Amino acid sequence: MPRKYVPYVLLIPTFVIIGLFIYYPAVMTFQKALYKISPFGNRSFFVGLRNFENLFNSPSYSQEAFTTLIFVVASIAIGLTISLLFSLLLNEKVPGVGIFRTIVFSPYAVSPAIAGTLWSFLLNPVVGYVSYTLLRIFGIHSEWLTSYPLALIAVMVATIWQNLGFNIIFFLSGLQGIPNSYYEAAKIDGAGAVTRFFKITLPLLSPITFYLAIMDVVFTMFTSFGIIDIMTQGGPGNTTTTLIYRLYRDGFIYFNSGMASAESIVLILVMAVITFIYFKFVQRTVHYR
Amino acid sequence: MWRKVLTFGVLVVFAASFLLAAPVTIHFWHAMNGPLGAMVQKLVSEFNQTHTNIVVKADYAGSYSETLSKTIAAVKGGNPPDLVQIYDIGTQMMIDSGVIVPIQKFIDQDKTFDVNTLIPQVRGYYTVGGKLYSMPFNSSNPVIYYNKTLFEKAGLNPNDPPTTWEGFKEVAKKLTVKNADGKTVQYGFTSGLVGWFFEQYMAVQNALMFNNENGRAGRATKSAFDSPAGLRVFNFWNDMVQSGVMINGGPGWDNANGIFASQKAAMLLDSTSDVGMMLRQAKEGHFELGVMALPHPAGVPYGGVIIGGASIWMINTHNTMKEKAAWEFLKWLEQTEQQVQWSEGTGYFPINKNSLTKMMYQGFYAKHPQYLTTVFQLLMSNVTPATRGGLTGVFPKVRATIEQALSKTFDHAMTPAQALKWAQDQADSAIAEYNSLY
Repeated sequence: MPRKYVPYVLLIPTFVIIGLFIYYPAVMTFQKALYKISPFGNRSFFVGLRNFENLFNSPSYSQEAFTTLIFVVASIAIGLTISLLFSLLLNEKVPGVGIFRTIVFSPYAVSPAIAGTLWSFLLNPVVGYVSYTLLRIFGIHSEWLTSYPLALIAVMVATIWQNLGFNIIFFLSGLQGIPNSYYEAAKIDGAGAVTRFFKITLPLLSPITFYLAIMDVVFTMFTSFGIIDIMTQGGPGNTTTTLIYRLYRDGFIYFNSGMASAESIVLILVMAVITFIYFKFVQRTVHYR
Repeated sequence: MWRKVLTFGVLVVFAASFLLAAPVTIHFWHAMNGPLGAMVQKLVSEFNQTHTNIVVKADYAGSYSETLSKTIAAVKGGNPPDLVQIYDIGTQMMIDSGVIVPIQKFIDQDKTFDVNTLIPQVRGYYTVGGKLYSMPFNSSNPVIYYNKTLFEKAGLNPNDPPTTWEGFKEVAKKLTVKNADGKTVQYGFTSGLVGWFFEQYMAVQNALMFNNENGRAGRATKSAFDSPAGLRVFNFWNDMVQSGVMINGGPGWDNANGIFASQKAAMLLDSTSDVGMMLRQAKEGHFELGVMALPHPAGVPYGGVIIGGASIWMINTHNTMKEKAAWEFLKWLEQTEQQVQWSEGTGYFPINKNSLTKMMYQGFYAKHPQYLTTVFQLLMSNVTPATRGGLTGVFPKVRATIEQALSKTFDHAMTPAQALKWAQDQADSAIAEYNSLY
């Protein structure tokens, strides 16, 4: 009889933690999104859906949504392609491959703020190594962080660089999970390296690729604001402000918590859609054969 | 039985005396990291050693906006610090917060503290409606750091820096060096894209940021920077960038600073609080550092500069003992020895008359003339609504909006006049939204 309760009792700590740190704040966010609130919270007025109205009527918000779309799609497409190429190289049995793997993975261990600082130094218009090299070799003067669209590209490069290690680790484990016999059989049948890659490697990596694509959406959409804050602060002229950076700025720099709550509701909805896609397509239709 | 009662009584008295004699603990959150943070810590431990009945616990709470946001969270959570260092543009937000005690209350009660010894330009900023709200602590203003060695190379007299924008442009042009391919290898001038500088360029023209005397005669209801003075700033800044004599350092301070330190730009707009660091960099880079006051446009009556930095606010804890202890600490921080120590160790200037004169008598300014400009410029500023600085609860947003507007002009997305108008409209709606709460 008491055994029936045991699982529930064991689950209590988890529920308390999730409830306290996830559900309670989430409910509060829904509530706050309907209010206009002073920075210290000493004044607040119920305004219904007016925060959302302002948000969707603001031209800057739709611009930021578009920036986010470009930022996320481009970072993921380019990021995954580069990661896959690196993984193929790192999957080769060459001496010292362990050292190369460690080096390639290391950016992931760096915090976004540090990554942003590093890239700012590299891209400094005059004394940065990247700008200096471009000037010396190609005679190009480039203001990476202060002109459009270079700033957006710079932020993407930093984000892709930071996330490279994570993608590569998963691709590598995927590659090592493909039995060698498939390749041997293909070789006997006369398939070249390119055919082998497109007919064997890529299809068999599809579950990992889908998983990584979803994880990268989460990473680029939600974690990227540290890099943006350090490198461009959303500039020049708001061109690198993504939805999450806008939320951070409204909430923690402008102290407008009503507006910031409304923005996080929008992001919660976006996240809900992504989660739905994940469960619907990734978990069901793509599986290891 | 009686013995038990007696023992108990003795114990109670014993415990109570402990409690009564226990020192009052004051929590002080500050936003000073690195060497500045170490300096704050040093001052705090000196205070604790000399005041046995008070313990001040100083904690670094992050950047200025992080400190403010942590304070807000702590106030909402019911466990705020007793003292907190808040940046200049948080002033109106703190006044409106409903959780602070204006320190004027203690100044009125405590005759041992003479508020008139505080430098008028500093006092002016934090005095609102005749009340000093917070204790000035780290104050700075903007100056132009310049490379005297590069001045000499360009055939300019390093001891005769320009005083007007027109003269400044000329000098910057002469300091811009191009190589045989026509690529710029040295810029005349650089600065970060920092909204604070816009406010300073306005103040030297004695121009207001907001209506109602910059929000000092009453709550500001509209911004006022879309004016001939504002346009002059936008044009000046934009012309310098477009003509290639100035390199835009982008957001923040570090990039521009790096360009100047590596001698790729001959002049840099920065805060006086960095004077110590600048001197070190000049020494490492083997060049001579000059400091000039912020130039102003010719033919426009001079205003002055606005102090930046931060002040210390007292949070209302409804505990008289704590408030008294906190006041003791604030008072002590303003004393001559502490101010001299703080100023010499950081580059922030001393904020009262006695510390300033003491440093002068001791020959500090003779030995370090670069420090002198930083103070001199402030003392030569007129105390007007424009130089006392603007007040609005949405100042962080206004500042960021102006930065955006400037970068839009640099990118040719807008003309200076359009960008200024756009920034003013954005600021006005933010101000209206904020004001509707009060």
